[in-house]
Amino acid sequence: MNILIVEDNKELAVEVYDFLCNVGYVCKIAHNCADALEEINSNDYDAMLLDLGLPDGDGFEVLQTVRKTKSKIAVIVLTARGELDDRINGLHLGADDYLTKPFALTELSARLFAVIRRIHGFTLNSLSIHGFLLQLQDYKVSYDEIPINLTKKEFDIFQYLVLNKNRVITRLQLTEHIWGDILEVNSDSNFIDVHVRNLRKKLDKHRAIDWFETVRNVGYRINE
Amino acid sequence: MKIKHQLAIFNALTRLLVILILWLMLPILVENVVYRHINNGLLEKKHKFIEHLNKSEIDDFIENSDDSTETYSQFSTLHSEFLVLSRSPIKANQKKAVFSNEFRIIEGEESEYRILQYHFTYEKQGYQLEIGSSLSEINDLTFIIRFFIIIVFVVILLITFLADTFYIEFLLKPFYKIIDTKIRRVNEPESFDHTPIKARSRDFRELDFVLNQMMDRIAELFKKEKQFISNVSHELLTPIALLKSKFENLLQNDSLDDNAFDKIAGSLRTLDMLKKIINNLLLISRIENNQYEANEVINFHEIITDLQEDLQDRIEDREIQFLNKMQHDYIFTGNKTLIHILIYNLVTNAIKYNKPKGSIVVEDGFLEHRYFISITDLGIGMNASQIENIFNRFARISSDQDGQGLGLAIAESIASFHHIEIKVTSQINEGTTFMLLLPEMTKHN
Repeated sequence: MNILIVEDNKELAVEVYDFLCNVGYVCKIAHNCADALEEINSNDYDAMLLDLGLPDGDGFEVLQTVRKTKSKIAVIVLTARGELDDRINGLHLGADDYLTKPFALTELSARLFAVIRRIHGFTLNSLSIHGFLLQLQDYKVSYDEIPINLTKKEFDIFQYLVLNKNRVITRLQLTEHIWGDILEVNSDSNFIDVHVRNLRKKLDKHRAIDWFETVRNVGYRINE
Repeated sequence: MKIKHQLAIFNALTRLLVILILWLMLPILVENVVYRHINNGLLEKKHKFIEHLNKSEIDDFIENSDDSTETYSQFSTLHSEFLVLSRSPIKANQKKAVFSNEFRIIEGEESEYRILQYHFTYEKQGYQLEIGSSLSEINDLTFIIRFFIIIVFVVILLITFLADTFYIEFLLKPFYKIIDTKIRRVNEPESFDHTPIKARSRDFRELDFVLNQMMDRIAELFKKEKQFISNVSHELLTPIALLKSKFENLLQNDSLDDNAFDKIAGSLRTLDMLKKIINNLLLISRIENNQYEANEVINFHEIITDLQEDLQDRIEDREIQFLNKMQHDYIFTGNKTLIHILIYNLVTNAIKYNKPKGSIVVEDGFLEHRYFISITDLGIGMNASQIENIFNRFARISSDQDGQGLGLAIAESIASFHHIEIKVTSQINEGTTFMLLLPEMTKHN
């Protein structure tokens, strides 16, 4: 999977680049509109992460140009929340998703996964980890073909951790993933623990889950 | 009172004054003209009489020449005129001709006459000649003229009053149009209608022009603020995004010791708080900058049900009983995201400041034809001075609560954006009720 990162903040671009390369994507960085358009025209990309505030123009111009020629490229707009109209515009002009800054890298990879999967016609329909099979389309989990009854939230948590396997996912990240980008300044995200506890209980019935770690009272990690 | 009525009444009053003065002056005018005319007639008759005067004629007039008081009178048949000649000695300094108005009885009929008294000597004998002309006809005529003029004036007064009212209304029409279309209906500068209002008076065209200019300036400021908000969000949130990514990547480093790991996790939490404060402040700014559309159909029942589901974890965690007692399916037009945030903030407050195992009641109804939703908790409550401050930014009821005290400031911004009134009633240790009072006439657009 080839991904073009269009972001004028060089350090942030590098962080995203490192993260996505680590996950297994092939990435390239463009810092402005001109570079981005040149890259898009000379190489085949599966997805583009597009920042809106670029030094030589508006990210939308890139988006519009891209949409005129390429239809099979997944575009995720990275925007600051203040650019509200942009958000609506973005989806209207053909962005597949948007993420408000600051975003969690793990959230980015989950969204990227979903968008690419959608663009490629849902060819990838399941994930598996230690014998557990996650059916992405109908939110079902099974072990050895025995279905496991998970709530929607438990499934989401499981899928998120599996997609970001081998990484520590903080409670904050999980909270944001499950309840969205709530504005309330209230960082007691203990509610996530209840769901994780229940999820582990259900998984534990089928197989020992020492690979499902609690990391130092900060977050969780699923190891492959 | 409207200016058109004031002007019309003022005009009518001034006209009435003029008419009154004219009416009062009329008898004097008429009398002057009429008396001069009669006087001239009397003088002419006197001339004729004196001209043809001779002894025999005097004798004709005065039959008994020995009696000095004997008079001879001659009347016209209708008593409209008379002529009296009498002997009378001429006194010194006596005016030759004197005019006067007197009542005379002629053949048993009393009426007012204009009388010319003329003294003259003829053959050393002094005579007094009186020629009279009846004034009764003249008086009748004066009365008729005054009556007629009154009627004409009243008619003129009415016609001009109506004409004034209509003309002033016509003149002022652009004024009301300006008020209505340019001022009253404008909520945000972007929706301002710049088409000039047609007006006959230059004053209103000028007013319109100045208003347009003013609106342009306001629109310019709004645009600048919008640009500023957009820049701030981009410039502030990008570095936060960078820090967040760095810290998250750092967390994956297995060589970290416990201490470093906790510190990084703590930094991430602080960053999250910073992000939320910025986003909250930006949200308030954007509401006040009118960057939201308010054209979505909102069903409060739906929003409350959604919220209850979203917040189920917290409600269960504190063992709070959530009672939804809503009975109406009220439809409101506004911004769904914002209304959701508004109610979310009120409900999370009700959870936060509740007693463990307490309860939250959501009710709705109508108060003076206005729909309301109330959210009541059985929490710690507030005193009057606390209530006063809760909508201030960064205000908190008690210092041991977490959060940044922006929730209610946002709630207030959203409410005022939608013209919703928030009423708070509270009692210490009993609980608090937040009532959202919706504007009237918004039902089913």
